[in-house]
Amino acid sequence: MAAPMALRRELCSLARILSGISHLAPRALGVCSGHNKCNIIRSRLPSTSSTSFHTATVFSSITVTEEPDTLFQMVSVMVKGHDRAVLDSYEFFAKMAAQELGITINKVYEPPKDIERLTVLKSVHIFKKHRVQYEMRTHYRCFELSHMTGCTTQVYLEYIQRNLPEGVAMEVSTTAIEKVPDHILEPMWEDRPIDDKPGQ
Amino acid sequence: MAVSLSSVRLLSALTRSGSLCRSLHVTAVCCKNRAARPRVGKGDYPLTYEEALPPHYIGHRKGWLSQHTSNLKGEEGAAERTVEDVFIRRFVSGTFHNCLANEIVIKRRGNVIIVCAILIQKLTPQKFYFLIGYTEAMLSHLYKCPFKLVVQTLDKKAVYKYL
Repeated sequence: MAAPMALRRELCSLARILSGISHLAPRALGVCSGHNKCNIIRSRLPSTSSTSFHTATVFSSITVTEEPDTLFQMVSVMVKGHDRAVLDSYEFFAKMAAQELGITINKVYEPPKDIERLTVLKSVHIFKKHRVQYEMRTHYRCFELSHMTGCTTQVYLEYIQRNLPEGVAMEVSTTAIEKVPDHILEPMWEDRPIDDKPGQ
Repeated sequence: MAVSLSSVRLLSALTRSGSLCRSLHVTAVCCKNRAARPRVGKGDYPLTYEEALPPHYIGHRKGWLSQHTSNLKGEEGAAERTVEDVFIRRFVSGTFHNCLANEIVIKRRGNVIIVCAILIQKLTPQKFYFLIGYTEAMLSHLYKCPFKLVVQTLDKKAVYKYL
């Protein structure tokens, strides 16, 4: 019970932050109409208005813009760290957050670890035959989330990144879907007849 | 003469057989690892868990004292973080002289540097609060980033074993 409430509170604060950012930049950062994810988030907020935290201010500062939201076919989040146990617990947290927000997780996999070894002389002076070897292990974990909107991606990534443990780095790569441009929609040879024959 | 010749022949026979012969291994002085390994003593020297375990147990039985991302593959800035860590350790151990129960743990989360220290209750709490505020203010002024000092106090040092 506590976890979804905490997440909804986080969402409210994140929505406040995002709407605050949208005041500075006139680009489409706010909640936009016509996308299922954002509507779901919006409809969840009034149901929690009976509890103590205030939602009225959140609603007044949400901006609605006419620009369509970017759609992402795939958002790939790769986390790397030195400790596998830390990455395990972070994976559990990210999966839970995605399930609460209704984000479909395509797959969660673990790429093989990278070990960087270096060999140095053990002694300060002479003793070339005696060396010490150190190694640095980097473990990876990759989450692939599919079919998300720009707003959802921003909220989810911001939540994930604010709770990144120390000693863990994250790389995010997104694949966006764009509308096919109008001049490619119809093939060119339908407009103009073929004048010159190909070949010699 | 004959005795020595026969003894030489005996020795050569032994070395050829191999099983009965005890050969002498000679190696240079610098071969055993001595880094961060406490030597066995009389049994009255107390050691904390951190000091008692040798460094090859890091990642298995020991944790990391300094947690940042610059040592991961494809990340930069390891040298700068190390120099900062050394300075922070010297600064904190000098500010809380003889009051540290264990090595301090330095964590970096985004811009914030969190220093976790376990102190022994040698001074009054008011003096501790002043020193904590002083450390936070000085270090955040020096490094231009938010500093947090997370402190836990103990009665006396937590001893893991005696050597």
